[in-house]
Amino acid sequence: MKKILNALCTATCGGAVALSLSVSTAQAQDWPTDDVRLVVPYAPGGTTDVLSRRVADLLQEELDTNVVVENRPGAGSTVATGRLARGGRDIDHTILMASPGHTIGAAIYPGLTYDPVEDFVFIQNMIDIPNVMVVPADSPYNSVLEFVEAAKEQNMTFSHSGVGSSIHMSGELFKTLTETNMTAVPFAGSGAALPALLGGDVDVSFENMPTVFSHIQSGDLRALAVTSAERSEFLPDVPTLKEIGEYNLDQFVTTAWFGLIAHHSFPEEATAAMQKALQEVMEREEFTSFVEQLGAEKGTIAGDEFKAFITDEVARWDEVATEAGIRQE
Amino acid sequence: MENITEVLQLFLATENFVAIAVGVVIGVTVGSIPGLTATMAVALALPFTFSMEPVAAILLLVGIYKGGMYGGSITAILIRTPGSPASACTLLDGYPMAQQGEAKKALKMALYASVIADFISNIALIFFAAYLAKIALNFGAPEFFWLICFSLTIIISLASGSMIKGLIAALLGILLSLVGLDSVFGSQRLTFGNYNLMDSISFIPLLIGLFAIPEIIEFYRKKVIPHLRAKASGAGVSFSELKGSLKSIVRGSLIGVIIGAIPGTGATAAAFISYSDAKRRSPHPERFGKGEVEGVAASEAGNNGVAGATLIPLLSLGIPGDVITAIILGAFMVHGLTPGPLLFQENLPLIYALFLGIMLSSVILLFVGNAAIRYFSLIADIPKSILFPIVLMFCVYGAYAVNNDTFDVWLMLAFGVLGYVFNRTGIPAAPFLIGFILGPMFEDNLRRSLLIGSNDLSIFVRGPITWFFIALTLGSILLALYRFITSRQKAKQSASEPGAGA
Repeated sequence: MKKILNALCTATCGGAVALSLSVSTAQAQDWPTDDVRLVVPYAPGGTTDVLSRRVADLLQEELDTNVVVENRPGAGSTVATGRLARGGRDIDHTILMASPGHTIGAAIYPGLTYDPVEDFVFIQNMIDIPNVMVVPADSPYNSVLEFVEAAKEQNMTFSHSGVGSSIHMSGELFKTLTETNMTAVPFAGSGAALPALLGGDVDVSFENMPTVFSHIQSGDLRALAVTSAERSEFLPDVPTLKEIGEYNLDQFVTTAWFGLIAHHSFPEEATAAMQKALQEVMEREEFTSFVEQLGAEKGTIAGDEFKAFITDEVARWDEVATEAGIRQE
Repeated sequence: MENITEVLQLFLATENFVAIAVGVVIGVTVGSIPGLTATMAVALALPFTFSMEPVAAILLLVGIYKGGMYGGSITAILIRTPGSPASACTLLDGYPMAQQGEAKKALKMALYASVIADFISNIALIFFAAYLAKIALNFGAPEFFWLICFSLTIIISLASGSMIKGLIAALLGILLSLVGLDSVFGSQRLTFGNYNLMDSISFIPLLIGLFAIPEIIEFYRKKVIPHLRAKASGAGVSFSELKGSLKSIVRGSLIGVIIGAIPGTGATAAAFISYSDAKRRSPHPERFGKGEVEGVAASEAGNNGVAGATLIPLLSLGIPGDVITAIILGAFMVHGLTPGPLLFQENLPLIYALFLGIMLSSVILLFVGNAAIRYFSLIADIPKSILFPIVLMFCVYGAYAVNNDTFDVWLMLAFGVLGYVFNRTGIPAAPFLIGFILGPMFEDNLRRSLLIGSNDLSIFVRGPITWFFIALTLGSILLALYRFITSRQKAKQSASEPGAGA
């Protein structure tokens, strides 16, 4: 009955759009047969939420169905992810906007009821936001190497937005790779962490690009490096940590990534239909300008490549968390 | 001159006026529904602003923010259910007033205090943003630590009646605030392995449970209907009452401005600090908590004073002080504008157009609030046998809506039982809340200071701001001790004089 109603709706409301869609591929017709639910594992208002709502808006035009955003915050995204892993009704129409919390959460939250890799289908990575290694404007360190050499001699402090955030883990990773003395100073979110950095209470931070970009421009903060594999087009003069190479830093590549995942039983044709629709979404002007405003880059990996990336990330953060002593047994 | 025409051109667009009005209406409505907070409304409205002009987009969000700040007080006063955390303090006197048939007076006073505080906050934003932003930047972890210490001394003045019971409540609040993940090591504390508790206890289910549920239990236990037909909607605020509370409102607004300008403290703390300040200065502090109109005024002035001031670190430094301003920051960025010092240099006309709009939002809040009161105050006339089942439904809904989770409903009911126990044993709820809100801030800033200073204690006396707050804290404790001793002496004297106090 529901199917018939849906078909009727599509036929009457869709009109010409439905016609053109039916020509495109046979597969796209089989899915979606219902509204798509996009689960946001964080509270409304954060980057994940804003991105998800933007994607949902564009996606429903491409899929010609409603895409309903649902916030289920809790325990660094692991509550919502755990629920997705358990399956249940409508699981073939449920997707989730995953982020570093997915891989880091697996490393630091004890007793997770799911496997962060095998229990999911990895549809498409949507965006990557680089982190920037920033120091206050009056800091004596003008380069990463100067900083590392000083950190070998004396203890340095780095601010972060909360235990298990990509900002925190980047700092821990830096400390582990360079074998330096660094103390993590936690804050409740980037907003609260920023004044400590601007005021010089902490020595360094590995903040998300959008948070610090304007302060780098105004000269209140100095960017020493970016954490992505390639230089950011927003800070073309700032080297990547990978480029610096010394002190094992060639292994330092990390970004805050945001991508869509689903339950492992998510139908193959649904994954294909989603990937196709998301490609269209990512080429839209609205999406491009949104990504630019965030100082982010569009994601490039999907499917198996995305899964391999997640596998590596889980292993990497697991190691860093153990090393830093933030892994709970 | 050119600038002025540009500012007016940006400001005098119909879209702006519609955006402010719609925003305030949404804010007041959403704010008055328990469980739906202004934060949620701002987040949900954000996608709609993508296609709007920047000024209108920001004004819509600011309108929701300000409306929500006031809206929360409506249900706090009428049904003892704070619509938003910041209005928890308002119910301490607002609800007793409603019970005494003065609902309308409480609502009106809340509105006037909100609007006046809002106005003062806006003035501070427009004229003193640069100075206040500088203070905010000098406010590091040690300064914060002492500010919280000072705020904790509030408990002394809020513990009406028994000091021991007040301390029990406060310590219980602190104990429950420890639930969740340790902020430095990420280890679990008091979660008993329960995932739902890892993000600590949700504040809204706690509030709803603590205040609304005990009333309902009490009502059904007694099974007598305290039928108030004394025209529950009652009279409004007289000019002399407003005049009498004006000092508290202005002081509360200034407290709100200072707290708002410092990222990360929040409107709830501001309301409590303002309330206790008013109580301490009042010639009849014993009336607070029993339906004192000045208490409502002070609390609302405190939380609305924050509204304009939180935009100070946002606009001048690009630092969002709370979740709402973080979303507004997002709205700026979507329109290609980056708040911070550069914005003032590059987009000055836009900033001034925004300022005009923000000032206008205070005026619109007055009208929308007045209209809302006319209808909402009728709730006070509904017989409780009909009202309470509906309230209970809203409690369940509100607790669920925060995280879309039934766990929070159970949590809310558990706090309902705790609140009932508090009522029966005379343990005050206000110190419990203060402990719950300030406890984590105290701990985090203490540990942060020690981490930053590499365990060197001298960081706690590193500058004038720390000295200032240390003096305030000590002064506050000494004053309380002095009052305690003199009141005891008085009690002794009156006891030894036969016939006294008859």
